[in-house]
Amino acid sequence: MAGSSGIAATMTPPGAGRVPMGMMQRFLQRRSTIAFLLCLPLILLVAGFVIYPAFYAIYLSMLNKKMTAFVGLGNFAFLLKRHTFQLVIFQSCLFAITAVMMKALLGFILAHLMHNIPSTNQKIWRGLLLVPWVIPLALSTLTWWWMFDPSYSAFNWILNQFGLDNVPWLGVGWIARLCTITVNVWFGTPFFMIMYLAALKSVPEQLYEAAAIDGASAVQKLIFVTLPMMRNIISITVLFSLITTFADFDIVRILTGGGPQDMTHVFATYAFQVGIQSGDIPLGAADSLFMFPILAFAAFFVLRGVTQRTKEIAT
Amino acid sequence: MSASTQANSLHRQRQWALYGSYAALAVFVIIFLVPPFYTIITSLKSSAEISAQDGSPWMVKNPSLENFWYLITYSNFQTYYLNSVMITAVTVVVSMVISVLAAFSLSRMGFWGSGVLSTVVFLTYLVPPSLLFIPLFQIVGSLGLINSVWCLILLYPTLAVPFCTWIMIGYFSSIPKELDEAALIDGANYIQILTKIFIPVAMPGIIAATIFAFTVAWGAFLYPLAYLYTSNQMVLTVGIISDLIRGDVFQWGKIMAACLLASLPPIVIYACLMDYYVAGLTAGATKG
Amino acid sequence: MKNTLKTTRRSALKLAAASAALPLVHIRTAGAAGKLSIGFWDHWVPGCNDVMQKHVNAWAEKNKVEVTADFITSSGGKLALTPAAETQAKAGHDIMTLVNWDAVNYAEHLEPVDDLVGKLTTQHGSPTATAAYLGKHKGHWIGVPSSSGTQTKPACARIEWFKKQGLDLQAMYPIKDETNALQDAWTWENFLKYAEAAQKDNLTFALGLGGGQTNSDATDLHGAIFASFGAGLVDANGKSLLKSDGTMACLEYMKKLLKFYPADAVSFDDASNNRALISGKSALIFNPPSAWAVAKRDNIAVASDCWTFPAPKGPKGRYVPTQTFFWSTYNFSKNKTAAKELLEHLMQRPLIEERDIASSGYDLPPYAKLTDFKIWEEVGPPVGTVYNYPIRAAAGQIPSLTASEAPPEVAVQIYNRGIHNQMLARLRDGQTIPQVIAWTQDELDGFTR
Repeated sequence: MAGSSGIAATMTPPGAGRVPMGMMQRFLQRRSTIAFLLCLPLILLVAGFVIYPAFYAIYLSMLNKKMTAFVGLGNFAFLLKRHTFQLVIFQSCLFAITAVMMKALLGFILAHLMHNIPSTNQKIWRGLLLVPWVIPLALSTLTWWWMFDPSYSAFNWILNQFGLDNVPWLGVGWIARLCTITVNVWFGTPFFMIMYLAALKSVPEQLYEAAAIDGASAVQKLIFVTLPMMRNIISITVLFSLITTFADFDIVRILTGGGPQDMTHVFATYAFQVGIQSGDIPLGAADSLFMFPILAFAAFFVLRGVTQRTKEIAT
Repeated sequence: MSASTQANSLHRQRQWALYGSYAALAVFVIIFLVPPFYTIITSLKSSAEISAQDGSPWMVKNPSLENFWYLITYSNFQTYYLNSVMITAVTVVVSMVISVLAAFSLSRMGFWGSGVLSTVVFLTYLVPPSLLFIPLFQIVGSLGLINSVWCLILLYPTLAVPFCTWIMIGYFSSIPKELDEAALIDGANYIQILTKIFIPVAMPGIIAATIFAFTVAWGAFLYPLAYLYTSNQMVLTVGIISDLIRGDVFQWGKIMAACLLASLPPIVIYACLMDYYVAGLTAGATKG
Repeated sequence: MKNTLKTTRRSALKLAAASAALPLVHIRTAGAAGKLSIGFWDHWVPGCNDVMQKHVNAWAEKNKVEVTADFITSSGGKLALTPAAETQAKAGHDIMTLVNWDAVNYAEHLEPVDDLVGKLTTQHGSPTATAAYLGKHKGHWIGVPSSSGTQTKPACARIEWFKKQGLDLQAMYPIKDETNALQDAWTWENFLKYAEAAQKDNLTFALGLGGGQTNSDATDLHGAIFASFGAGLVDANGKSLLKSDGTMACLEYMKKLLKFYPADAVSFDDASNNRALISGKSALIFNPPSAWAVAKRDNIAVASDCWTFPAPKGPKGRYVPTQTFFWSTYNFSKNKTAAKELLEHLMQRPLIEERDIASSGYDLPPYAKLTDFKIWEEVGPPVGTVYNYPIRAAAGQIPSLTASEAPPEVAVQIYNRGIHNQMLARLRDGQTIPQVIAWTQDELDGFTR
């Protein structure tokens, strides 16, 4: 095993010289052995319930509906041909990209507003703004659902007060898509705000002072000082949020169940419908695997960003 | 003269910017708090008041706590609550033990492949449950744990452990090496170093990670929805949706009351430990 | 007979007391012991679940079985989702409520119940033809036709509003079996003018176009309309009927009717039409009497102005939407004997009738000798409002089951995906009939995977 590891060699376990020990005992006392044993629960958990299922998903996705025969990439081809699935791809991308952009923008604005006010007052405002993010998403989505309800919509009541017509919130494809995005933005914006606020605070005040002396306008300060300093945090947050938004299940499942006419299904909800509800496990597995390339892409850049940031902090 | 007016106008400008910021923030706060507000309002209404549909849905005419009383005395709801508490508690304990041990090992001791393992752990955190729930359905099924709270106890740590390990590595790494080296020279063993030095010093991190594990386990929706079917096994998120949304069409007062009761623990923790809470849920992207 | 029953109950109680006194000795009645979980359908009519729970508790106490009864709503497709997932997982409830096709759909996971249905047949007469068609697989009964939930979905409409339109609903379908000229004029073609008038009066008929399993009310109705025009999707040999004359005529007709659907019809689920009627926003819905029953509790003015009567007729007859509910035991259940005993207990005539009274006549027991309950004539207001809810011989109604023209395994999928609703939703969105047919054909091709 790791016996020859450099660190282990330099660090002899304390008291090793006093009593002669058995091989086994000595092995167990070795630093790297202890280190490995401490990690073992983690390794088992990750291997058993993340890595193994991931490979098992690939295997499942290549079986036929009854799971009796191997069909290669047949399920993927079948899915790509289906009109409904083409909608799913489009909607997943639309949902994730629009929602993340909105969240990034609103979070940015909020963080700036927050940065403007004296830090003694920030706590209470931050506390109020973070509430959407604290309530379990599945539960707050239920409230949204009720507010969107066709005949009892609380929003429609407001519209009616202004003499406007009822809007079938979840009944028309594009409106329903907007509604799912809205709920996601409502839920996720506080996270962006917090991340950006932390980043804003880390920008040294001297940079702004220097910019001010050079006669920079507010916009110039934003573009040439703030944004470059925040670049890393922005990209990590965006990519990170892209992953969670792309894989979102709760909102669409509760709000629309994928309807009207499959116009709000995303990968996760469609996989649930096909795999669990209609009992077509292989097709469901194939469906959710379509998420993989996009997630891997985002994960790669998140990881790169995080490593970079670690280096920045270290220096 | 001119300089002082300039400074004065600058000051006034600043002042206006400040007021503007407050006003804009207030608008955002109002918008953000609409759904929770509506939840509270609806939870205080009776079925008859909701179905009558006269007057503003945003106000409550005859507030009553009957919905809350109904839930508190409703045995299914009690079951969901107990199940949620039990599963969350076990998940938190298990996750914290696993991740503290692993983080200590990965940040301080190291073994062959520990660097790779750290990266793998971080990547695991990025794998969403919606990618794995279908194969896990088969795996959990073959273990005979479908429709059992035990499958959640087994699976929830996978949602919390990678991230908790990740933040703990961050916190542990920031502890000066001299501290544990000195302890080693004094004859302490690794477990002593962990319990006597690392855990006390990294307490803020541990609290943050614990809150994270709690939040994840309390709010998870996909796994219980996919794997639990009978009401005696369900947890709050799924129980409310499966049980309270009834054919009897005006259950919304009860549903909203249930949402409030179920959101209570996270909100209380949040109110008391906001800074840790925020640190816990954001550290993933800021900590190195 | 009654006496002996009482004695056994009393002796059972004694037995129970004895076993409670001796905690180490478990005395169990034949086969029934341990735990049992049931997924009941969550009844739309307020108070019905309580009676069911009472019946279950009585049996559970007598037999020392710990019974968990879950009431699962059919809105949002949850009642359909549960057996789908449970048969996948081979775990869950011991007894599950299955609707329409689902008994056949999950046949390989279900325990045959020939003996039980045999007993019930001697007591209650033969099950209806629809129940036999849906509840038998390869010659074996795989589900017990249940009264709980078995229903038709006739029209339920506001009496006064129709009077203003010149149609006396109570004269057309009175509280007795008769045929009359008004009934002959009650056709889908004439239905159009009422639908139009209702929309003008802001009392739009609450007809849905919801998706998937969430809007079975609409799926059932549209199946009946299709049938009354002789339309269909695929025949029993898998041959497409999409371009048949009947289907064309039906779609042409629906183009006209769809103009008078509610604006938010596509977001309807099975609760939407109930809500619309109860809150006085709709003059007519197609639904079992649950909407009326909830109105009786929450909005009595509306309830006493409601009349339930058969659907209009089309060129090929007067089809009324139906749903048949079954109680089945999974073959992976660990307590099949107890499950069957409980089912037998629940299907005794006095219990069925008690539940039927609690449901204001909602439940239609699908057995020949159980059609004489007094509740349908007596319940009100207005008295007799649900007299025409059961299929009466004189009304000339034909039970309709959406997609039943197709082979069962395809019909299940057509039904569960709500294909009829989706076709019509597309038609309403302005797609042409050929476009709709092309889309439908594509979906049907997917079902043969």
